[in-house]
Amino acid sequence: MPTGSRIEITSLTKRFGSFVAVDDLSFAVDPGRITGFLGPNGAGKTTTLRMLLGLVHPTSGTATIAGQNYRDLPDPLRGVGAALEATNFHPGRSGRDHLRVLAAAAGIGDSRVDELLELTGIPAFANRRAGNYSMGMRQRLALAAALLGDPQVLILDEPANGLDPEGIRWLRGFLRHLSGEQGKTILISSHLLAEVEQTVDDVIIIANGVLVRQGTMAELRAGGGAIVRTSDPRALVGALAERHIAGTVEADDVGEMVLAESTNLRAVGEIAHAAGLPVWELSTKAADLEELFLDLTGGTNRNLGEGAA
Amino acid sequence: MGAPMRAAVRAEFLKFFTTRLWWGMAIAVFVAGAAFAVLFAILFTSDSLAGSAGGPGGLPTGDALQIANSVYTGGLSVGYLLLLSIGVLQIGSEYRHKTITSTFLSVPRRVRAMVAKVIALLGIAAAYGVLSLVASVSVGALVLNLRGAEAFPSAEILRTLALSLLVLGLWALIGLGLGILIPNQVAALMIGVGVAWIIEPLAGLAIKASEFGRESIAPLMPSEATAAVINTVLASPDDVRLSWWAGALALAGWATLVAVPGIWRTVRQDIT
Repeated sequence: MPTGSRIEITSLTKRFGSFVAVDDLSFAVDPGRITGFLGPNGAGKTTTLRMLLGLVHPTSGTATIAGQNYRDLPDPLRGVGAALEATNFHPGRSGRDHLRVLAAAAGIGDSRVDELLELTGIPAFANRRAGNYSMGMRQRLALAAALLGDPQVLILDEPANGLDPEGIRWLRGFLRHLSGEQGKTILISSHLLAEVEQTVDDVIIIANGVLVRQGTMAELRAGGGAIVRTSDPRALVGALAERHIAGTVEADDVGEMVLAESTNLRAVGEIAHAAGLPVWELSTKAADLEELFLDLTGGTNRNLGEGAA
Repeated sequence: MGAPMRAAVRAEFLKFFTTRLWWGMAIAVFVAGAAFAVLFAILFTSDSLAGSAGGPGGLPTGDALQIANSVYTGGLSVGYLLLLSIGVLQIGSEYRHKTITSTFLSVPRRVRAMVAKVIALLGIAAAYGVLSLVASVSVGALVLNLRGAEAFPSAEILRTLALSLLVLGLWALIGLGLGILIPNQVAALMIGVGVAWIIEPLAGLAIKASEFGRESIAPLMPSEATAAVINTVLASPDDVRLSWWAGALALAGWATLVAVPGIWRTVRQDIT
């Protein structure tokens, strides 16, 4: 598999009976970046990942890695590492043996298994039965399993779930290393934006099986628009409106300000200058990510809706 | 066998030998082999049976060869139930603990993954079969000698011993099919063992009530076919029995009937 394997989801749809789990979903995931695949529980994230990995048959559309279906990869574990659910271990089998089974199927030696147990920080527990593992241990074991073949593409479903703050920090550093220095393609899903917002470069947000937002984390953060303080806020709103930028006058404890619905600070500043208004402050309004996430995905959660009915 | 298939089979063996199931089963198979050999060696050489051709009093009947066969394969009556259980558990535990996900991630060609399971299962059955025979032949031959019966009346015994391994393999495949077709592992185990051990033999008795059933259907039943393959003593002189190869075909037919739809289903279904 060539360096820089791209994940491409094209018009992917999955119906279970009359229930549409994933609805005409399209997006791409680029190498060398960490992409967050976000949405509330039941949004269709896991179904999408399972279609990408050949476990669930799409009703229509395609999901490919480096242009190939997962099923057609000549050496799947060396191309793609996946950790789907951290609970999928035989409780009577030790963590080390779980890895040995997977390694055997891919023709990988036991020395690589021990290397990964070391790397993910679980050698002390490796020979204990996995049924006794804590959630954090399972996550590390699942990650070790995904990394067995040193794959170019990593697909991790809720990898931070059940990790303590130190574990999340460790995971972040680890994934940064894999994407930044090794140029791997990393796709991680989460139902909590806050859990991954410091980790991911790009975000794909889905709700009810439909794509609702795609872009870089920086774009998402800047989504709040621009804050301008000037001598005559109302005049500036008028000037902005002439250039098709919506603005409102709001007040905080400092005084009145204009909230412009644009993240192009240069354009906003030039409009103020042309209108002869002195600019006292011009800054990006950081989006309230949690609010934004709920706006994008909330209120329409079909699972909650059914439960409440 | 290509390298990917060899690797997949190796992974299946590793799966089996990395849980505690295997040695528990090994002890059970060994003890059953030895215990039934002693029991049958004493029973079938008792005075009421020895040298009799007619099976008075409803006792099982057979010649020296059939007696030796029965002694050495006596443990199979338990052994095939154990292999049936292993077959159920091999796939059932994958669904129960959701390890089927990592199985199909490491071997995404599902037909290959399932064929690897079948090959591994046949190997496991053969290994347990050998273990059972080591117990039954050593102990059984000793007891037969002590009782003055022929321990090795003919070379045909070797055929029986070899075929008993095949019988175990086919029963394991029946278990594999059941383990898929009955999604709840515990239900699959209870239904599988219950049917094979109790219901199927009873059904066989009921079928034998009619002339047609006794001659044409009963011999094809799994337990009767098993008895035909390993040529044990007859339960009743009126019984009709298939030749060993026809019995093997009948048993293979049963294994195919259950395992192939099961495998087909696993290959097609969504793993959620």
